[in-house]
Amino acid sequence: MTRTVLGYLFTVEWAVYVGGALFMELVWRPLQRHVPPAQTGALCNAMGRRYRWLALGSLGLIAATAIAWQVAGGPTLRASGVAGGGAAAEWRIAGLVAVWVVLVALVAAMGLLVHPRSHARHRPGEDSDELRRLRLRSIRFMDVLLRVELGVALAGALVVAWPLGSAPGLAL
Amino acid sequence: MTATWVQVLASYLHLLAVAVYVGGSVAMEFVLGPAQRFVPPAQAQILGQRSADRFLVLVWGSLVLFPVSGMLLFFSLSDQHLITHGDMLSTSEGRTLLAMMVLWAVLVANGVLITFVFRPRLVSRAKAQGGGARVAGHLESMQRAATWVSRLTRIDLAVALVVVLLGASLAYGKGIL
Repeated sequence: MTRTVLGYLFTVEWAVYVGGALFMELVWRPLQRHVPPAQTGALCNAMGRRYRWLALGSLGLIAATAIAWQVAGGPTLRASGVAGGGAAAEWRIAGLVAVWVVLVALVAAMGLLVHPRSHARHRPGEDSDELRRLRLRSIRFMDVLLRVELGVALAGALVVAWPLGSAPGLAL
Repeated sequence: MTATWVQVLASYLHLLAVAVYVGGSVAMEFVLGPAQRFVPPAQAQILGQRSADRFLVLVWGSLVLFPVSGMLLFFSLSDQHLITHGDMLSTSEGRTLLAMMVLWAVLVANGVLITFVFRPRLVSRAKAQGGGARVAGHLESMQRAATWVSRLTRIDLAVALVVVLLGASLAYGKGIL
């Protein structure tokens, strides 16, 4: 039962993360073409703040659940009934840890550095052209980072979805 | 042991369908929804309509993908005996699978209600004939439709989370019912 609950939490947390990234790419990005620029800025600002906490929260819970899962003996292999996963599970764990680290770095960079810069406000004495250039650069960089994040998240989902206990190769 | 490509493809598509449905609903409800307060009401309404239109396409894609990838996964794991040998009610796995199918049907029914009953009411325009009373009635109907869409969306999210729990109990155990 413990493994079922942990497996459930792990799946839901990944689903929330990957689904959020897909939503941003497939719903929010095309929607921006139909919204006036000033309102796009206001919406981006509000959504970015919420999405940052949703993404970091999901990643934090993924790590906590994964650690609890390992403490509980790892996922039981449904086909063989073997607990832990043995050598076949090691590549999955290594892959997931690598994906997790990259995603945390990307979300932190976007949420704490690039996104605030794309909404930077003008201060007295600041060159407004320079500020506009900085904003545009940040927005372009943010677009690139969002796509990289989506690609990494989708690759992570493949590792999560890989049948338990299976080595990386395919039995064709 | 290596997995077959069918198992990998089916598992991946199944997880992506869950991600689009559950993660997309969470993003729609908790990220885009509250952000609409930051734009004027008329713009927020257009935004809500366009985002719902796009998201409904993804939702229907997921609802189709659930049974297709689920069945692929099922047969690739050689679990078809649960359906073909009358094990559906006599085993915990079979009952769990049956409950998943019933809840999927609930999601489809709610999807049909939202797409074909309430959404058209939300996007329809009031006719000029009939005067103010007709326009007021139309607005009331739109508000009722918006309330129902909001309710059904939340119910769908809760049902989807239960379906994932049932699925996890099959993936990591032998069912929970």
